[in-house]
Amino acid sequence: MAAGASARDYSFAAEYDGPPLPYSLPRAIPLDLSRIPLAALSSSPPASPSASSSPLPVVRPLTPSSLCSAIHAHAHPAPRSAAPAPAAGGAVVDSPTSVIENHHAAAHHSAELPSSPSDDEGAGGGPEALPLKPRHHQPAVTFAETSGSLLQSSDDEDEYEEEEDEDADAGEARPRAAAGQSSGSLSPAHWRGGRTRGCYRCGKGGGFWGRDKESCLACGARYCVGCVLRAMGSMPEGRKCLECIGRPVAESRRGALGRGSRVLRRLLSAAEVELVMRSERECAANQLRAEDVYVNGTKLSPEELVVLQGCPCPPSRLRPGFYWYDKVSGFWGKEGHKPHCIITANLNVGGSLDQKASNGNTGILINGREITKSELQMLKLAGVQCAGKPHFWVNADGTYQEEGQKTVKGKIWDKPIVKLLSPVLSLPTPNKAANQSGEDAVNIVNRVIPDYLEQRTTQKLLLVGSGASTIIKQAKFLYKSGKPFSVDEREDLKLIIQSNIYNYLIILLEGRERFEEESLADRRKISPSDPSSSGCCESGVCDEVTEYSLIPRLKAFSDWILKAMALGNLEDIFPAASREYAPLVEELWKDPAIQATYRRRSELPFLPPTANYFLDKAVDISRTEYELSDMDILYADGITSSDGLASTEFSSPQLSLGGLGVDESDAQDTLLRYQLIRINSRGLHENCKWLQMFDDVRLVIFCVAASDYDEYYEDANGTIVNKMVESRQLFESIVLHPTFEQMDFLLLLTKSDLLEQKINDSPLTSCDWFDDFTPLISRNLLSSSSKSTRSSTGATLPQMAAHYMATKFKRLFQLLTDRKLYVSYVNTLDQESVRLAIHYGREIVKWEEEKPVFGASETVYSEEPSSFTH
Amino acid sequence: MASVAELKEKHAAATASVNSLRERLRQRRETLLDTDGEASLSSPLLVGDPLSWGSGNSRAFADCSVCVRLRGAVARYSKSQGRAPVSFNPTDLVCCRTLQGHSGKVYSLDWTPEKNWIVSASQDGRLIVWNALTSQKTHAIKLHCPWVMTCALAPNGQSVACGGLDSACSIFNLNSQADRDGNMPVSRILTGHKGYVSSCQYVPDQETRLITSSGDQTCVLWDVTTGQRISIFGGEFPSGHTADVQSVSINSSNTNMFVSGSCDTTVRLWDIRIASRAVRTYHGHEGDVNSVKFFPDGHRFGTGSDDGTCRLFDMRTGHQLQVYSREPDRNDNELPTVTSIAFSISGRLLFAGYSNGDCYVWDTLLAEVVLNLGNLQNSHDGRISCLGMSSDGSALCTGSWDKNLKIWAFSGTRKIV
Repeated sequence: MAAGASARDYSFAAEYDGPPLPYSLPRAIPLDLSRIPLAALSSSPPASPSASSSPLPVVRPLTPSSLCSAIHAHAHPAPRSAAPAPAAGGAVVDSPTSVIENHHAAAHHSAELPSSPSDDEGAGGGPEALPLKPRHHQPAVTFAETSGSLLQSSDDEDEYEEEEDEDADAGEARPRAAAGQSSGSLSPAHWRGGRTRGCYRCGKGGGFWGRDKESCLACGARYCVGCVLRAMGSMPEGRKCLECIGRPVAESRRGALGRGSRVLRRLLSAAEVELVMRSERECAANQLRAEDVYVNGTKLSPEELVVLQGCPCPPSRLRPGFYWYDKVSGFWGKEGHKPHCIITANLNVGGSLDQKASNGNTGILINGREITKSELQMLKLAGVQCAGKPHFWVNADGTYQEEGQKTVKGKIWDKPIVKLLSPVLSLPTPNKAANQSGEDAVNIVNRVIPDYLEQRTTQKLLLVGSGASTIIKQAKFLYKSGKPFSVDEREDLKLIIQSNIYNYLIILLEGRERFEEESLADRRKISPSDPSSSGCCESGVCDEVTEYSLIPRLKAFSDWILKAMALGNLEDIFPAASREYAPLVEELWKDPAIQATYRRRSELPFLPPTANYFLDKAVDISRTEYELSDMDILYADGITSSDGLASTEFSSPQLSLGGLGVDESDAQDTLLRYQLIRINSRGLHENCKWLQMFDDVRLVIFCVAASDYDEYYEDANGTIVNKMVESRQLFESIVLHPTFEQMDFLLLLTKSDLLEQKINDSPLTSCDWFDDFTPLISRNLLSSSSKSTRSSTGATLPQMAAHYMATKFKRLFQLLTDRKLYVSYVNTLDQESVRLAIHYGREIVKWEEEKPVFGASETVYSEEPSSFTH
Repeated sequence: MASVAELKEKHAAATASVNSLRERLRQRRETLLDTDGEASLSSPLLVGDPLSWGSGNSRAFADCSVCVRLRGAVARYSKSQGRAPVSFNPTDLVCCRTLQGHSGKVYSLDWTPEKNWIVSASQDGRLIVWNALTSQKTHAIKLHCPWVMTCALAPNGQSVACGGLDSACSIFNLNSQADRDGNMPVSRILTGHKGYVSSCQYVPDQETRLITSSGDQTCVLWDVTTGQRISIFGGEFPSGHTADVQSVSINSSNTNMFVSGSCDTTVRLWDIRIASRAVRTYHGHEGDVNSVKFFPDGHRFGTGSDDGTCRLFDMRTGHQLQVYSREPDRNDNELPTVTSIAFSISGRLLFAGYSNGDCYVWDTLLAEVVLNLGNLQNSHDGRISCLGMSSDGSALCTGSWDKNLKIWAFSGTRKIV
């Protein structure tokens, strides 16, 4: 296979055509099948599980050090078993030829055996493995004897690697962890860097050309200009060879992260290099791994690490290791050493400070830490009385006091000599920014979260159905305290409202025409039966004037609007000309005829309930300088002019919880972000393909207007459909959509205020689906005033109706999916009610996350957790 | 209420009569197709090299007579002419580049003839412009709305367009400077669609013209410089699509013509100059048409559908020339749907991506599967969502839900068939 691969050239890349080389090029040795050691076939360098795709087979001459790593890697999985360990899926199998070539390469390079990678942090497997290399000059590798000794050497590493790679497959966690996924802080077992000058892929180079190489950040393999692009591919994580994608970078190379290289600049355009460097800096795999950093003896969580690195004055050059951190003063240092720097104080990271943290022996304590000699010297210079081994309490601004005493004795940094001499004693001085922003650091809500974390921590909640856009708007008011709506959004909404006024007006005008005709017809019906009425000429005048008639001037205007609408160019006329006609619109609206029409609005099915709100303000709204009030925004239909999709993000459960019992949320919660996404239900149908895009949402919030049960609309085929039945169909199609197979659903019954208003006039049974609604209402109460209709259980009729609807939906959901539907009630115009609903949604997400931990004890969760929120 | 019932009755009757008429039309169409099967194939169907990956000059169907009528007749005829099916070894088409860098499903890609740039759109809310030669990113654009469904590179390679669930098409000028966070400013937003933007394509010879298709059942021709709609295809006009339009393809030899495939299972042909009605409607598919692509010669086009088949239609006669349907799996009763199609530069090969991660290479003439890219080494792990050919025909790019794009190249040792 290797021979086949090399015979063809798939590459676009240019061949080397530079000056002739002063040395002979290494040639491929003809393959002798009998010389292939069987064991070598299985010696695949274990690819990390995340590196799903693997490149073309790459013939890579095994240099001594890379052989070392290969064997090192291989030695771990069951070395003595006869069956070769299964090659990691899709990993590059080191072809047999490479071993043979290595025979030569090793002999050739034996003079310059690689020393261990210079890794300042840890002792590694490298040095132990080194002495073994010369034994491998024989192609017939016998692993039995070597692997035994390798195992022993690797045992030393194991104690460092105990807490690694919980996510690796349980069965192979240990051997893989040791072989491929070694922690960045310790010597990575896949490290292949050495002093070998040649390219790891083509073997060329050395001497002068050795400088023009790029090395992998994770394993240190070096590639020449011709090979680097093939070996590293599209560099999604920066300069790493393909097999190293997903592996942490070697700590010794962390400093080089994001620093451009000459080699890449020669090969790629500036923009390309820039992007490679950006992904190198920003991708998740290259970040410092939180579990490698210990602060005050406690391993950091990823969130704590973000807090630490995101603070205004972070510790410089943070590397894996053990640190102590004085939360009060902000002192930061390596464990067993004097302070290294002063970082932002009051960060909630790590455990509590130990007295022996900096291994001092002076007997003087600062914030509970015994200080070192050089610190004592500094204190003396600062004029602090240190007789009698006092215990000091030092604040972030440098003020100090003795433990147990209230009086501030002074400020350490007051004397200029302290700041001058601190560097001499290699002690830190406070950064200016550190003091000012101590309080801000606590308020991590407003901090920018790096991209790689954002994707992991954002929980998406999908909002569907009627009233969803109002909820989005409310959420914006709730969580975006500064500017809930951008200028553009307000402009958009303004346009919507302005053009909607005309839509409302048209509905009214059409209704007026209809009513006028009807009443005229009625009158004609009456008049023949009333021969005693006055003469024809007089009746002819009278007939024209009904309650619904307009004066001619307004009539002309109304005709013109209706004509424009019929022609379909209303959109073109109105947003632009709205100001011009605003007084006319208002006059029209105030006209008794229109008002009479409006009184019969129950017969105008398409007139939204908000119409009068906006028509009352017609003149106001039509002004160009019209500023939307919050109420206007809530009442407006839709969010954007295209009305396709809207979303808003929020975080900070503390803020949203307000004063109400802040559950002492762990640090994790502060980073959790929620994204409410509202999609337009109009485009949804059974086979809706774009719903697949929302397969990563955590919860679908389905909104149904409780007042829809007696409302109808005309669908495209002209059939009259009950809105509630339509909602049910939509609900079914979304619940059954393959994308949401395992999704949790929350049903929000909105517009409960409207339900209350009309439930007494219009029975719930007017909807076919609810025909078996038989509220238990005691007879005597029913006979009394309908206002206080109460069932024997004390629930009012609207409450029972809402509950009944919820039960209907729950049963439907149970039938469709065999799971439980969460239900809540909300009045979208009431901010508090929306806040509670969103909070409930968040609780569901949290609960579903923790359920596996608790065991699926459904009974713990109350059946009806939220009360009626009217 | 009586009138409503009456109306309903009338409506039902009308629907029934429409359906019966439609059925008769279909039958009539089929009998017409049957009348003169192979007899009418008087002129040679194929002259010249049927497959050429590299040259791009020869056209498989160059001399194809218009009167290929019978479904499958193409295959029968070419067999009778001694046409051997194209045969590929598994190593003849190899993955030579893997473009990694997206952190979400890849939904769309476009390969520009200029500069060898590929643009890809992913659910992580980013557009990435790749240099196909070095497999490096040249631009990464963070989008305002992450639910992007389509992207396109301008013919001159100066700008990219993308659209999605925000119902708008955003244009980015690739020469503009990114701000401090590395975000590229939007140079223009084309608004006006009332549904999601499912597909967009620049008119090949005009940088300033762009055609989009949308979930609002229309296609729109835009002037990119002004941001105005030039014409709207479908919608209120009676001959428009009756469901979401999923895909458009512009005829490369006559850029006034384009076809659109829709969820109403039809494909419609439009003339840019006549927006009022569709020139022709092509029936045949039994599911949503997800992808349409013009055949390289511009006289035919291919379609890919939810019914699991690809079809080849003759643009002028409206006849279905070929069906590419895969055998149902033994254990899997549901046919995977076709997500995207592409033709090789000669037209001899049809690439079709399926929802189960397969990517078949069809012999366009004989309707036989030549190769399944999904079974090859280094193939994708997820559904293949989009396909694109390089302009010289030397390579195919596939984008997949496994977050990667792959470039497949013909290994080049074989002689042209």
